[in-house]
Amino acid sequence: MREVVTVQVGGFANFVGSHFWNFQDELLGLADDPAADAAFRTAPLDMDVLYRTGETLQGVSTYCPRLVSIGSRGSLGSLSSSGAPGLSSAASDQLNVTTWSGNVTRSVAKPHGRNLFLQSLTEQEPNPSTSNGGDNSQKSVEDKDLVECLEKDVNFWTDYTKVQYHPQSLYEMYGSWTDFDKFDNFGTAREVVSEWSLMEEMNEKLRFFVEECDHIQGIQFIVDDSGGFSSIAATYLENIADDYTNTPVLLYCVRDPVTHGSSRNQRETISRSLHDAVSFSKLSSFCSLMVPIGLPSLSQSYLSPFLSIQDAKPFHSSAISAAAIHSVTVPFRLQNAGPASNIAHSSGNIDMRELVHIISDQGRQNMVTALDVAMPAPSLKDGNDLWNMKSLHSLTPEISDEEEDPYSVESLVVHGVLRAGGHRASISQVKSSVYSAYEARATKPKFSHLSVSPCPLPIPLPFPSIFRSNISQHGEILGNHAEGTQTKGSLDVESIPMAARLRSSNAVLPFIERRSLSLQKFGVARGALGTQILRDWGFGREEMEDMGEHLSRMVRALRPDDGLTSDSD
Amino acid sequence: MSIRMLNQNAEVMNKSAALAMNIGAAKGLQDVLKTNLGPKGTIKMLVGGAGDIKLTKDGNTLLKEMQIQNPTAIMIARTAVAQDDTSGDGTTSTVLFIGELMKMSERCIEEGTHPRFLVDGFEVAKKATLEFLETFKTSVVIGDQPDREILKMVARTTLRTKLYEGLADQLTDIVVNAVLCIRQSDQPIDLFMVEIMHMRHKFDVDTRLIEGLVLDHGSRHPDMKRRAENCYILTANVSLEYEKSEINAGFFYSNAEQREKMVTAERRQVDERVQKIIELKNKVCAGTDKNFVVINQKGIDPPSLDLLARAGIIALRRAKRRNMERLVLACGGEAINSVEGMTEECLGWAGLVYEHVLGEEKYTFVENVKNPHSCTILIKGPNDHTIAQIKDAVRDGLRSVKNTVEDEAVVLGAGAFEIAARKNLIDNVKKTVKGRAQLGVGAFADALLVIPKTLAENSGLDTQDVIVSLENEHDRGLVVGLNHNTGEPVDPEMEGIYDNYSVKRQIVNSGPIIASQLLLVDEVIRAGRNMRKPT
Repeated sequence: MREVVTVQVGGFANFVGSHFWNFQDELLGLADDPAADAAFRTAPLDMDVLYRTGETLQGVSTYCPRLVSIGSRGSLGSLSSSGAPGLSSAASDQLNVTTWSGNVTRSVAKPHGRNLFLQSLTEQEPNPSTSNGGDNSQKSVEDKDLVECLEKDVNFWTDYTKVQYHPQSLYEMYGSWTDFDKFDNFGTAREVVSEWSLMEEMNEKLRFFVEECDHIQGIQFIVDDSGGFSSIAATYLENIADDYTNTPVLLYCVRDPVTHGSSRNQRETISRSLHDAVSFSKLSSFCSLMVPIGLPSLSQSYLSPFLSIQDAKPFHSSAISAAAIHSVTVPFRLQNAGPASNIAHSSGNIDMRELVHIISDQGRQNMVTALDVAMPAPSLKDGNDLWNMKSLHSLTPEISDEEEDPYSVESLVVHGVLRAGGHRASISQVKSSVYSAYEARATKPKFSHLSVSPCPLPIPLPFPSIFRSNISQHGEILGNHAEGTQTKGSLDVESIPMAARLRSSNAVLPFIERRSLSLQKFGVARGALGTQILRDWGFGREEMEDMGEHLSRMVRALRPDDGLTSDSD
Repeated sequence: MSIRMLNQNAEVMNKSAALAMNIGAAKGLQDVLKTNLGPKGTIKMLVGGAGDIKLTKDGNTLLKEMQIQNPTAIMIARTAVAQDDTSGDGTTSTVLFIGELMKMSERCIEEGTHPRFLVDGFEVAKKATLEFLETFKTSVVIGDQPDREILKMVARTTLRTKLYEGLADQLTDIVVNAVLCIRQSDQPIDLFMVEIMHMRHKFDVDTRLIEGLVLDHGSRHPDMKRRAENCYILTANVSLEYEKSEINAGFFYSNAEQREKMVTAERRQVDERVQKIIELKNKVCAGTDKNFVVINQKGIDPPSLDLLARAGIIALRRAKRRNMERLVLACGGEAINSVEGMTEECLGWAGLVYEHVLGEEKYTFVENVKNPHSCTILIKGPNDHTIAQIKDAVRDGLRSVKNTVEDEAVVLGAGAFEIAARKNLIDNVKKTVKGRAQLGVGAFADALLVIPKTLAENSGLDTQDVIVSLENEHDRGLVVGLNHNTGEPVDPEMEGIYDNYSVKRQIVNSGPIIASQLLLVDEVIRAGRNMRKPT
């Protein structure tokens, strides 16, 4: 067993994380549930990779995510930072102050309300099984209310989380003067980062989880890089690189579609472009593999025929990123080893170190990858049909659509795919179908890796109702179904098959190029408009030039014309 | 008003309105922090929206918690917090002093004085007061054997304003001993060498000083001893885990045998490193009852732990980076980065190493060390907010001792300095100033009284009575402060109430600067773009 430690930094990253852990919690429940789909029981993913067993001070044993979550102050909503629901205000009134014999004044903030869903978690013993059909009607009415309340009433990422977190997991930043409303660029976090105690505490929390790992396979790091948090993450990553030298870090940069809104004026445009460039440059220097996620609009994307997503709701948009990240982590948790045992329940297990090595260390040394996802993944047709590669669509913004790169390297994960008729396809069927699809491609990638598992993505109760009516209970795409406006949620859809692909190819070139250019144009060039902004953020001329050089090196590595032969000169 | 022509939305406040706003903000902030001051102040319990509890009596913490919006208040708060960063205390006093300077100025301005004269007066008064502080301070000879009593008095004065007396007195010894422990002649004191560890366990009075180190993790092998005496300590930064080398990634070997080979080769390197450590252990421990402990900053994987355990070695992995430095200072020896050429000289020594388990949390105590220059304050408390509050107090206590050692001076407390400084300004300085700047000197002198006044007020005493009786004593040439229990004048020297010289100096220095800036503002323009996102 090789452990993965997860780190989430920033607002949207925690929204994504909350969905991610809900999937895991659902899987845990389904693995023990005799009523659940056989795929969850017979080929379970190894949850110990992401979870740890522990014990509270009272001796109660716990099973919690190996997670460090960093958020701004107040972002935890009704959850206290110890992971348990906080004290009620009535209880705190009765609390004695034992360390002071003089007067006490109490200042009690208005408690955050706990929505219907959170209330239901504490009321009954959490029973993670997706009850469907057979249950008594009273229960299902209640579930419907819960789903409805989540659609309307999600303000914090904790509002829809059903996972029990470890007391060491959650950390709220006490930015002394920073107004978190304006925490929207790289410079704003400077003061926070320079505060020694804050970074120290963050490092300590991570060390707690890493210390107990016998064979850590890597750190999966989700950051909301749209604002000041990317600066915090960059410092954090730098510390990680120092402390855990050989541990690979898989970095997902997630963004809320809302943050792509148009800028009001030129200064803001420049500031944003510079932020993108600087944060990309800084984050990419301290991780092993970087996956930018976050289309400017999900509602208008390729996913829209199957999913109806409201961009304005982070509750919706984060669910897609979370599902994709879940799929990427599946190969880390497949249990059988060795390429020889084809008959087993899964194929293509790979650990994070190997994945990083496959994708980034060969040939082109490119560590920025695009993430493509098929949600839901199409079913296999009967016979020796080709699996539909075209169903994979990128979640990475600003990349080119061409797939014609002979030097590309890919890692594809397909899990829970169905055959025609709604049966789970076998591993070998999926493999042969995908292989022949690769064969049929005009330009084949230089290298590709395939992982297959029968275990689909479970849809937990607190999942947004985003499925269009052409998605069946098990995530099949119903062809002949009339387009309806009604969306389905977790009560109608139990699970969906997924496919996700990490792709290192020159498709990401525009993404990097844009950042490199804007840094040149606004930052480094003589008399550039943004030099003052960069100076305010605390970057000197030399550092700017270093960042510029770093970015152009990345661009050079991918240029098709002088791609492989050119050395950095 | 020309700004209006450029931007219709600009809001402009004229001189008197601007001044009123600044004074209002300063007074407001003063009101909030006033009740904090002194050993009779009020502690604040802040309960967050999720029920998180925070206890504080520290102006610094409170300012950070308040999320101030008013720009003037932010400016004052920043100064006060900067005060805390440089000298570790005095946030509340700074805010009170600035507020009082503004209040005193308000009166003069209402009577028609131009702020410029006040500011000039502040300048003179500040200089004179700083000079007076030099003559008023009590020098402390530090040398090789510092006067423990005076350090204790300073620490006690600080701690008693944060914690109840019994606990404060107990912690006094702890913080003084801690600072003296880490102090090395002709080196600056690095307070990071005092580790502050906490356990959620038992009561606050179980807090203690450990001359040695407490680590917040234990060994990860069931067969390793949980307690050992007479231990060699090896402080290392060497990876003892098998990391798959890069060529080993799944598809570079063509068959299983080849893969095995690579794995064994890689494994062998790690094993050799472990073997080197075991050899050293055998060399120094053979035939004695001595034990061997490895504390490693990098990882140690289970096979390596196995080997070490079989050799009777206790091993801890992934120690905090700063603990590497602390360990060497506590136990001696040196931190090694490679197992090549290790000798006995690299090893440190501890009389006792043992593990303490609380639920899933493990602690390793490294105690009975020789001549330590690093130590640990182990804070115990029944719940998180109690622990956090004690921790804050301990930090303040440590800072006050450190300041004393570095300043080589202390200042009589309980308001004695402020009364004496005022007397000096009124009797000696004011006369030397010509013209209306005298008013500034007067305002400054009166503003100083805010400290004894607030102390009296918080103790439920009549402020005017107190000030009059204190001033009378000073007029008779006696340097006295306020006894917060009786309201009578006391001799702070007898009571052992001392403040830090550097803190006082900082307050006198920075207060008038901010107050002057605020007084000289004659127009406030709010024309910036509203950056808030439309929601």
